[in-house]
Order: sequence, then C-alpha cells, then structure tokens
Amino acid sequence: MAVLFRRLEEQDELESFDCGDEPLNNYLKRHAWTNQQKSSIGVTYVAADEAAPRSIIGYFTLATASVPRHGFPKKYVRGLPPYDLPLILLARLAVDRRFSGRGLGHALISEVFKIALRVADDVGCRCIITDAYRDRADWYARYGFVPLEGAAAGGPQRMFLDIRTIRMALKTVVRKNSVDRDSSM
Amino acid sequence: MPVKAKQPRKPQQAERTIRKSKFQADLAPTEDRIVRGLKQELELGSNTDFLTEALALFRWAVWERKRGRRIFSESETGERKELVLPRLERVAPELTLPRVEISWTPRELESLAALVGREPAAPTEPLIRAMRG
Repeated sequence: MAVLFRRLEEQDELESFDCGDEPLNNYLKRHAWTNQQKSSIGVTYVAADEAAPRSIIGYFTLATASVPRHGFPKKYVRGLPPYDLPLILLARLAVDRRFSGRGLGHALISEVFKIALRVADDVGCRCIITDAYRDRADWYARYGFVPLEGAAAGGPQRMFLDIRTIRMALKTVVRKNSVDRDSSM
Repeated sequence: MPVKAKQPRKPQQAERTIRKSKFQADLAPTEDRIVRGLKQELELGSNTDFLTEALALFRWAVWERKRGRRIFSESETGERKELVLPRLERVAPELTLPRVEISWTPRELESLAALVGREPAAPTEPLIRAMRG
C-alpha cells in the first residue's frame, strides 16, 4: 500500500475514520479543518492510501508555541538562551484501526520529525512537546521523547524531544548512506 | 581619395562611471526636522550618507522578516518591544504552523528547563529509522 502525506483538505472524507478514541475521531471530523483554515490554531497533516486519496487513514496536528523565559524557575534561567523558548506542539496523532499494526504510526511520526526540522530551519524551534496518553507514553519514548515531571495526575503525560537529537538522527542517516554508497562503488 | 581609418568609438560617459540616480523626496516639515535631527545625531554629513545608512537598516529589516524572523528591541531589564510595520509584514512568509498557548505546571517548567539546558540525548534506533524513510 502506498501512502500519501499532505495537509488536510476540505474535500477529504473523514466520516469513516475510526482510531478507537472518540476525542481523536471527533477532532478530525469536527474541528481539524476549522482550526487549520479559519482559526489557524493547528495544521493537520493526513495520511491517505494512494488508491483512495480522499479517504483518511491517519493524521497528526501540529502547532507552534513558546515558553516565556520569565516562566522558567530562576535557578535554570542562567543556563538558557536569553529568549523565549520556541517549540512545536504535536497536538494529536492517530491511526485508523483498520490500518493499525502496519507501521503507519511510524510513518506519521517520521513526517512529524521532518516537518519539525524544516520549521526549525525556517523559523527556529528547540524541541517537540506532546501530551501523550499515559498508555502511549512508551511508544513515544521509543523515539526518544522524555517524560516531563509534574504533569497533573490522571491527565496526559507531557513529553519532550530535543530538536538537536532529531538533527543527530538525520546526520547518522546521511553518514550511513554515504558509507553505503562508497562501499558499493 | 584617401580612406580615413575608423576611430574606435569613445565609451559613453555612462559606461565609464557607475551610474548614480538622483533621489528627491518631498518631506513634511516634521519629517524634515526628524531627518535633520538624525543626521546631526549620527554625524552624517549629507543626505546621500543619510539615505545610505537608512537603506542598509531597512534592507536588513526586510531581509529578516522575509526569512520569517521577528525584530525586537530589548531593554536592560529584559523588556522587549517588537517592531511591526504593516509594509514589513507583507514580506514575511506565512508561518508553516500557527501559534498556540500551552499551560504548564511549575514542575513541568523546571523539568523542561533542565532538559533544554542539557546536552541533547543520542537518537534512538527507531528515531534514526524514522529519519531514514
């Protein structure tokens, strides 16, 4: 199955999307387009099967945010750059149940990382933050997301991934590709 | 009849020297006073020098906004003011992603500050694989 990734479009068919989580289904069906196009408070990227390009099988939503420098505890401020901390919020990520177990979540998060690097290059950003469901925190941890301490009990687990770690991953890939190319010559 | 050898064409004045353009502006009395004041403050001898300096600053501002960067002034106490000019905003690219506010608990901010202040962690194998695709 060849999967396409792109921004959500108005004509996309969303009603059949079911990831097994009602708030995530509802967000895609009722709010994602409005938030993207009218309110501009989050951009939703979708995955679609190339054979049925209007039928959405997975999505994620991104926005940018920042932490004001004065918001940090004083003892840490000295070690931080003298600016607000810009970040990307991975607000939602979901895969349709019918397509789970096929690596679509991995493909979606790959897109998240690529977009994050592009945003970091274009306008600057220091990390990705996500509020993961507690039972999904391990999945994010596999990619290097670190849980932040102090999340409200019973709420989602806020997690952090340094953009520099993503850059290092990209460098590793580039280095490995060039070694592979050299050894095949 | 003797044939006169053709003389090579003399280069035109414009080809020999860098063409300079004249810049004339009608200023209101207030603006004129501002220009004179600035020239004095910055010790600029001529209107040409004034325009050259102003142009460099304006060009820089346009370039920064074109790259999506915002322009601030910062006081000694860290108070910041953003420079927003409607004309400059026209050249700013539409940000890839919109901006939202996130609420944080004090403990989360402490934890975040500690992580940001640290050296970045090495990428995990799944992250490397994700970047490969």
